[in-house]
Amino acid sequence: MESDELVIQPGSAEPIYRQSAQQLRRLIASGRLSSGDEIPSVRDVAGRHAINPMTVSRAYGQLELEGLLERRRGKGMVVAPVRGRAQSPDRRLQQLQPLLEELSRQARELGLPADSVIEKLRALWETE
Amino acid sequence: MMNAVSPSNIPDSHDYPVICRNLRKRYGGGFGGIKVLDDVSFSIPKGAVLGLIGRNGAGKTTLMRILVGLLMPESGSAMVLDEPAAYLTDAAKTRLGYVPQEPQSLSWMTVEAMLRFVSSFYPKWDHDYMWNTLMRWEIPPSRRLAKLSPGQRQRVALIRVLASCPELLILDEPASALDPVARRDFLREIAVRAGEAGTTVLFSTHIVSDLERVASHVCFLHEGKLLLDTPMDDLKETHARMCLSREAAAAVSGRLPGELARRRRPDGGMSIVLTRKGLEAWPSAVTAGGGTLEALNLEDLFIEVTDHPGAAWFRK
Repeated sequence: MESDELVIQPGSAEPIYRQSAQQLRRLIASGRLSSGDEIPSVRDVAGRHAINPMTVSRAYGQLELEGLLERRRGKGMVVAPVRGRAQSPDRRLQQLQPLLEELSRQARELGLPADSVIEKLRALWETE
Repeated sequence: MMNAVSPSNIPDSHDYPVICRNLRKRYGGGFGGIKVLDDVSFSIPKGAVLGLIGRNGAGKTTLMRILVGLLMPESGSAMVLDEPAAYLTDAAKTRLGYVPQEPQSLSWMTVEAMLRFVSSFYPKWDHDYMWNTLMRWEIPPSRRLAKLSPGQRQRVALIRVLASCPELLILDEPASALDPVARRDFLREIAVRAGEAGTTVLFSTHIVSDLERVASHVCFLHEGKLLLDTPMDDLKETHARMCLSREAAAAVSGRLPGELARRRRPDGGMSIVLTRKGLEAWPSAVTAGGGTLEALNLEDLFIEVTDHPGAAWFRK
């Protein structure tokens, strides 16, 4: 993968670390990046997009925590094997975290009580 | 907020190349004087890139001139690289790079002569960087500084401080006269140096998009007061604008928790800028009916908290 495949929009209301993490998640989920693929170094991404390296590190760190990336000696960051990714339910749940946050935010803005949203979700789940 | 400095919590000066406490400065003196800095306290952790945003006349230049020892504050203290800013030793000065808004010094010299002369004062001078950047930024080395355009002169001044490989960079509106290519180049240089060499950077700007890329921390300076001092990534997640319909606005009494600014809208509604700690829930007024919550980018936020007469009542 090359650094310029990431799209960075500094003026967006979404912080840059989230933008980058989210794009990598999607690339991995869609199979465009597969296990063992190298991820560009923090320096590369920061230099290419003229963004702060700490921001890039933060995105990588988060994906590492989610089990999507792992650090390989001498190789930098690579996409983690699928097996490692699927291990713990906690980790899998964590992948839904941004969606859940967004859902709860929107539900709150609409003035919906949590119970009604959960009920709806359960109903959807059971019809799948 | 990680940078807030209270007397009981004085950061270790080794980890903070800049520590300011209660800086005050007035021009004109006496009671009639204009407050340029009003009780400004902040510190910059090593390796951070702090973007200082403020409108013209907000006090940015004054603050920077105090930090490099060109101005004395009326009261308060400024420590830079572990020394009082007003009395920096020569050793500390070689570790500090400052670019004023309109660099003028040594203007009778040619670009090359000036850079060679200046390089002799800096043990870590990077000649490769100097020549490469002169070429990339299209500066004729044999031209006299006085004959350069203001933009070219600013570029030379940036090359001069960056080639000296300082530990602390203080840049007053550094990108204002750069074209988009040179600007991106310059931002990239700052980003990479902060990450790799641990260079600490303070730069002022009103070009907010530059700051969104490269800054790790943001301060708003408005009418001499520091309105906001936050890590960049958190800023967008901890601030939002709540828009209320006329009915919902009527139900709001008094200040909301976390309120930074509010504005009446022409339709009788109201928009209120809110801040929260971490990712805790927004105040329930949002859900009270007729309220929506909008994310803000940096420019929106800056305008919201500074573009109305009551802005200065808000103090962090």
